[in-house]
Amino acid sequence: MWERVKNWMETRIGLDDLIRTQVTEYRVPKNINIFYTLGFVAAVGYLIQVLSGILLLIYYIPHPDHAFKSVQLIMHKVPFGWLFRQMHVVGSNLMIAAIGLHMLTVFAMGNYKRPRELTWVGGALLLFVTIAFGFSGYLLPWTQLSYWATTVVTSIPTAVPVVGDFAAGVLRGGEQGTGATLSRFFAFHVSILPPLFMVLVGVHIFLIKRIGISATPFGRQAEEKRPWTEYHKKSHIDGYPYYPRFFQMDMLMVMVYLAVMFALITFTPNLFFPEEATIPANAFKTPVNVRPEWYLLAPYQMLKLIPNKFLGIIIQLALFLVFLLWPFFDTEKEKNIMKRPLLRGLFLFSFILWLILMFWGRS
Amino acid sequence: MKRRGFLKTLLAFLGAASAASFVYPLSRYIAPPASTETSKTLVIAKREIPLGDAMEIVFNGVPAVILNRPGKGLVAISRVCTHLGCLVQYDKENKRLLCPCHAGIYDLEGNIVSGPPPKPLPKLPFRVEGETIVIG
Repeated sequence: MWERVKNWMETRIGLDDLIRTQVTEYRVPKNINIFYTLGFVAAVGYLIQVLSGILLLIYYIPHPDHAFKSVQLIMHKVPFGWLFRQMHVVGSNLMIAAIGLHMLTVFAMGNYKRPRELTWVGGALLLFVTIAFGFSGYLLPWTQLSYWATTVVTSIPTAVPVVGDFAAGVLRGGEQGTGATLSRFFAFHVSILPPLFMVLVGVHIFLIKRIGISATPFGRQAEEKRPWTEYHKKSHIDGYPYYPRFFQMDMLMVMVYLAVMFALITFTPNLFFPEEATIPANAFKTPVNVRPEWYLLAPYQMLKLIPNKFLGIIIQLALFLVFLLWPFFDTEKEKNIMKRPLLRGLFLFSFILWLILMFWGRS
Repeated sequence: MKRRGFLKTLLAFLGAASAASFVYPLSRYIAPPASTETSKTLVIAKREIPLGDAMEIVFNGVPAVILNRPGKGLVAISRVCTHLGCLVQYDKENKRLLCPCHAGIYDLEGNIVSGPPPKPLPKLPFRVEGETIVIG
């Protein structure tokens, strides 16, 4: 009976063929390392966000009179509501960390180089969409911290002449943060960003599948010697099959991700909930300790340090564009960062500067 | 132009025009509706603000503060920091207005003393009628 069902399905879907070509016979480079799993880990992280987010939607009410109370209800009254909210909040931070680390290791291994420029651009856009997820979700509990952090960030466009005020008004749905802002951020968080994220993931996976996985940068790869216009898929015929070898590595890192998530939930349950995150939003009182989440602390501190608002925002925009389009700036053929002292210095300088600004912004 | 090319161009034009016809309604839809706050006046008793003190108010939806400055009299200033929109607080001890977000400092006229704010705090129109202050 089971065989007949299986054959019926196989005739129509061709699952065996799909698994054979995409999993068991799909080859990965022999010198692949653990950092190659971070994209998969981020995808699992997104799945956790979707599932926990759907569960939170059952009780959350996106209205300024009810948002804070509904979140408190989830945390204190609904059975296991605290667990799903903690998973969503901690998961959002971990997902950004996973994608950030993925970008960092791709950069360090030079895997953004041709013909993978668009894979990098797609990945960078995914990082920004994930940050937009975190930022838009930050307002939803309607706390003092979330309200004022959102006020600060939605004021950033006002530095741009002519259209700045209009753009800030579109973001907020008015001149100040109100119920209209909450509605807009809620719509953005649950219905605009998810399909955008999925489209970018689709493009990212398509490019990885089409071009093939880049090997680690030890010696120049054959593909780099070919002219830009010629397409040739890197198939790693002598490599290991994805399943079971690399799949085990993927699952190991997913376990590490989950272990970190539940360790944070268990041992530091208030890590992402400072005092201002437990007070309902008050539009007429700015708390002393307004600060965004850790991943926005460096740009936040930069805005503090640069005395001119317009200049501060233009510098950040320029840095964003350099990061997004980095493969087009770095045209050097050498992939190995250990053979490129200037790039290594720039990489370390940028990373350390980012860490300093982050910790400075937190203090 | 050949018939096929003409039809392609026509189809592209019609498609673009159809898509463009949604741009205006969409931009109007996402732009915030005009404020319904009407220009009202707010009346406060003078005795409620002793010399050297301040009173926080909300005028036409804008958080503001009325300061009773020794030797300089009353002034009504918006509390919305011109940097990134946080609300400034009156620092009575140092006679200044301080933004808690990025440490912008204004004097009691609303002028910038230090920090990143690009413009002074806007003043609100007011008049004193006997023992009352009329804002607006």
